[in-house]
Amino acid sequence: MREFPPILQAKNLTKTYGENVIFKNISLDVYKGETIVIIGPSGTGKSTLLRCLNLLTPVDSGQIFLEGEEITAPSVNQDQVRQKIGMVFQNFLLFNHLTALGNVMVGLTKVKKMPHNQAKEKALQELERVGLADRAHHYPAQLSGGQQQRVAIARALAMDPLVMLFDEPTSALDPELIGEVLGVMEQLAHEHMTMLVVTHEMGFAREVADRIIFMEKGRIVEEGTPEDLFERPQQARTREFLGRISELYGKREKG
Amino acid sequence: MVIQFFTYILQGTSVTLAVTLVALPLGLILGLAFALLYNYGGLWVSRLAAVYSLAMRGVPPVALLFVLYFLLSGRLVNLSPFWAGSISLGIISSAYQMEILRGALQAVGESQMIAARAIGMSRFQAIRYIILPQAIRLAIPPWSNEASIVLKDSSLVYALGVPEILRRAQQLSATTQQPFLAFGAAALIYFILVFLANRGLDLLAEKTKLPNAAA
Amino acid sequence: MKTIIRFLAFLVLISLPLSGCREAPQSRLERIKQAGVIKVGTSADYPPFEYVDESGNKVGFDIELMEEIGKRLGVKVEWVDMPFDSLIAGVQEGKIDCSISAFNYTEERDKVVDFSDPYYTAEDAFLVAETFTGTITQPEDVAQYKVGVQSGTTQDDWLTNVLKMPEQNLFRYDRADQAALDLKSGRIEVMMADAIPAKALAQKIGGLKIVYTGVLSSGPMNIVLPEGDTELAAAINDILKQLKQEGFIDQLAQKYLTE
Repeated sequence: MREFPPILQAKNLTKTYGENVIFKNISLDVYKGETIVIIGPSGTGKSTLLRCLNLLTPVDSGQIFLEGEEITAPSVNQDQVRQKIGMVFQNFLLFNHLTALGNVMVGLTKVKKMPHNQAKEKALQELERVGLADRAHHYPAQLSGGQQQRVAIARALAMDPLVMLFDEPTSALDPELIGEVLGVMEQLAHEHMTMLVVTHEMGFAREVADRIIFMEKGRIVEEGTPEDLFERPQQARTREFLGRISELYGKREKG
Repeated sequence: MVIQFFTYILQGTSVTLAVTLVALPLGLILGLAFALLYNYGGLWVSRLAAVYSLAMRGVPPVALLFVLYFLLSGRLVNLSPFWAGSISLGIISSAYQMEILRGALQAVGESQMIAARAIGMSRFQAIRYIILPQAIRLAIPPWSNEASIVLKDSSLVYALGVPEILRRAQQLSATTQQPFLAFGAAALIYFILVFLANRGLDLLAEKTKLPNAAA
Repeated sequence: MKTIIRFLAFLVLISLPLSGCREAPQSRLERIKQAGVIKVGTSADYPPFEYVDESGNKVGFDIELMEEIGKRLGVKVEWVDMPFDSLIAGVQEGKIDCSISAFNYTEERDKVVDFSDPYYTAEDAFLVAETFTGTITQPEDVAQYKVGVQSGTTQDDWLTNVLKMPEQNLFRYDRADQAALDLKSGRIEVMMADAIPAKALAQKIGGLKIVYTGVLSSGPMNIVLPEGDTELAAAINDILKQLKQEGFIDQLAQKYLTE
């Protein structure tokens, strides 16, 4: 059922900051249409891994392939690669001087050189998709955190990416605002958007993920389906982490 | 007599305005270029920009005026006193405007750059469409201050024989021995000019201000 | 970005006419006559030699003298008003053709510019407030008082280098009238200046008197000319000679320098 090659493939990625090893020899295949959730304790290199995957941060060694083409090769135009990989950040990072509509449009008009009217139409569609068409003319400062994050998702979606990376998209949100963002992400998963999500939301991981990867101390400890990981974890570290996390986040999980 | 007096000094206003209107935009262009080089130019370029800023803020404006007009002009290029003076003041102002813009660029923050790069913008596009529009908004209030300073510093071109407001006041003060009247008239004109410039920039800041409260 | 480039291009364009005219080997005097204009530098804040009247016209002893010299050269005088300190540099670097601004000969100035024959001999004066109680019978006596002087003048030079005034007692001013006002208000006790402008100042400001006059610092006044330009110097010296013989200069002195 998996199309080959993987849409996004990482081979033996290693990243260090000086003495500090962030992650080592990480390999990862992401197939078209699947949702992968990366879980693990804070500071285990999950966010850095996402930034490396869309070339915002260079890796020390290893290769990354997008649709079978190596994007870590020196001759590659990194700006073009990033257009094809959407990224959603923990702190939304909307462009403060642009309205919601402007935020979604700017990549279309300036990067894709799309005519203004066409870009506007497309941007409105994307805002509609995240349920914010009525907030199109609001500035980021006039939107709630959850709304800002949904605009950020629309901004990334507008570029028609091959894969979407989510870096703890709900960690900066007040609890009552988390649901609307997860809802949008869930809907995307159902539309078979290819997604790689770093999150602590175990409910989301359990219900939406096709595969879950447990990372700790810069290594992939275990990976498998939600059932495998939640019901029959093979590694003691995985069990321990899941135990702790469900104590912390358990109350918020959906049935 | 007072009317004549005032009229004579007022005639210097066009010189003052012309010098300011050359020096200020020139300083803005150079200052912006150096601020961008400082923030995004890599280690060595950034150091060079910092040295430029330090040197140009350190040099007395009159000294640069003299170097440009008496030493360089006529050898490298032929500049009239007006242009030599205006360009010198523009260069000096560029160092201050660079500091203003550098601070504004830094205040916008690296994360806006990362977000722009993440949707496939080049560094140049990110600076042009995302960073600068925000930085310039932040820079307007301190820039308004710099505009007043350049307006007043424009009197220095008199050292090259361009008779602006202050020089005319000096002349009348020497002739009539009424320094309070002469310099008072000059001060009044400067006050009006600075007031108008600041009001204009305040309006611009107000117009470009981003809403910051939930609607 | 495009607009920035356009603006730069605009700046270059409008500055083009200012550059590029390399001059053919032609003497300064020929060039002046051909252009019909002589550029003369002065610092028009030194009545009665050079100043502006209330409608802004340049007037004074030097101004009228130079206008007459221009007339006899067959050219118009284009006045360039500069601070006194810029004038020598202006002549030296060829920004102005010559300068008339109550200049006295000094060796230092002679190193970088030339001087015309003298057109007038100036005396120095010591000016004090009417309430002054000290005694100045010979010039050296001023060394014990707080003395004000216009910076860069021959009086400044005399006080500094001939009298060797203690620096803490020597106050230098940009303009003579500033010193006179300070003299009146008691911030300084003595002011040294050219005798004729000193008299004028004393009269204008009031409450001041002259306690000593004599030729100390300066002596003759000369027009400052470009170093080594004997042709221009000869032309101007000829005219000065005529003007002296015709009594024109005495008339000017009568008009401006006696009260």
